Amino acid sequence: MDTTPVVTPRPPGPSQPGRSLHRFANPGRFLRISGVALPWVAIIGAVLTAIGFGAGLFLAPADWQQGDAVRMMYVHVPSAWLASGGYFGLAVCSLLSLVWRHPLADLAAAEISTVGAGFTALCLASGSIWGKPMWGAWWVWDARLTSVLVLFFLYLGHVALVRAFDDPTRGYRAGAILALIGVVNLPIIKFSVDWWNTLHQPASIGLTGAPTMHIDMFWPLAVAGFGYIFIFAAIVLTRTRSAVMERRIRGLLSARAERQT
Amino acid sequence: MTHLPYIIAVYALGVLVPAAYSIDAWLRSRRATRRLAAIDTRRQK
Amino acid sequence: MTRKRRRLWILVACGLGLGSATALALMAFRDTLVFFIPPSEIASKAPAVGRTFRLGGLVERGSVERVNDNGHPTARFRVTDGAGTVTVNYTGILPDLFREGQGVVALGSMAADGSFRASEVLAKHDETYMPKDVEEALKKTGHWNPDEGKPPPPASTWNTLMPKKPDTSKAGG
Repeated sequence: MDTTPVVTPRPPGPSQPGRSLHRFANPGRFLRISGVALPWVAIIGAVLTAIGFGAGLFLAPADWQQGDAVRMMYVHVPSAWLASGGYFGLAVCSLLSLVWRHPLADLAAAEISTVGAGFTALCLASGSIWGKPMWGAWWVWDARLTSVLVLFFLYLGHVALVRAFDDPTRGYRAGAILALIGVVNLPIIKFSVDWWNTLHQPASIGLTGAPTMHIDMFWPLAVAGFGYIFIFAAIVLTRTRSAVMERRIRGLLSARAERQT
Repeated sequence: MTHLPYIIAVYALGVLVPAAYSIDAWLRSRRATRRLAAIDTRRQK
Repeated sequence: MTRKRRRLWILVACGLGLGSATALALMAFRDTLVFFIPPSEIASKAPAVGRTFRLGGLVERGSVERVNDNGHPTARFRVTDGAGTVTVNYTGILPDLFREGQGVVALGSMAADGSFRASEVLAKHDETYMPKDVEEALKKTGHWNPDEGKPPPPASTWNTLMPKKPDTSKAGG
């Protein structure tokens, strides 16, 4: 492989569109800027999450229906936000990759899906643990739970697909297509609780209308949610930085090997 | 607190999963930085 | 530029096709995607006796009784959605959230006498997250009684921008 980002073999044409774009996706610039931002993102994420979880455990009141079991919400809901939000990020990267051939987007997509799969698993596991005492079942096949399980499989499929080809570019391309196809699942997850009878309750917090949640419960949830977003971003940034550096290492090594032969 | 075992399990997962990812990402980043510094003669950082 | 533009349009076209195909498929399978059937639908088109399905609704207030069915402690209660009511018999452990006025989803089948024989009962809770003292305050001032099975008052009246001391006197606005 080369030090410059991989350019896909295109059908023969007069211009080479990939080259000029790479100026805007300069890996060196990405490493510099992300290196400055990363510690702050990580610290903000850790602090907000700690405050949110601590408040959720010890400050937030017990729920009128669920009692203390409601405290599981402060882990479950942020992880659910990131399961969907992370997939949205993956879809944006896939679009950047397919249309604009952005070389950093390919690397970021592969890292987002790996992290997103973990957060989706966390969402499913925490929901399951919450569901057992409250609903009376670890798992039910209602539309919300099933669509989130599908999201988990989409993540896993992406993780496997981008690594399934000898030529990494083909893997990135196939992964991007899979990720974009899976986007139909996002509105299904969001609206499943409104469109169909589900065991899972509808959303308490929406863009319109007041949240059907008391402020004493809402603020720890919001803080934990923002904390998780920052943590997720920090993990993805760190991994993408590593991926950029690893690609450069491979490029340098192969260039050196070529010189020596 | 009612349902304490369930709550503990959920919070343990909620801390461990991001922590495991963070540590893994940090180790990988450190390894890559060192290898790159050893190989890359252009930038001495 | 044109190539980028073309790739973008191809993706938009694929997205539209995929989106509408998914929407049509979901419409076609609408009936099987629902997790439970409300009592009012059972009145109009009752599933055959012995066919397993899920029944969902609210536990009618004052309808829960514990009976002894051949030595097995059995719960008997009525499930309602306002328009219809079905009597449910269930032998087994009820979930923690189960109580009168609570949403439940029961798995089972219709018996010959028109009642529902449940093999599993799940509790359903709604999206209202409220501290206990707020609920009690609403109850005391008569703005809302959860036992009546009615939805809580508009969230903006209690969710509140005034933590600790909810001003329930403004409720109903």
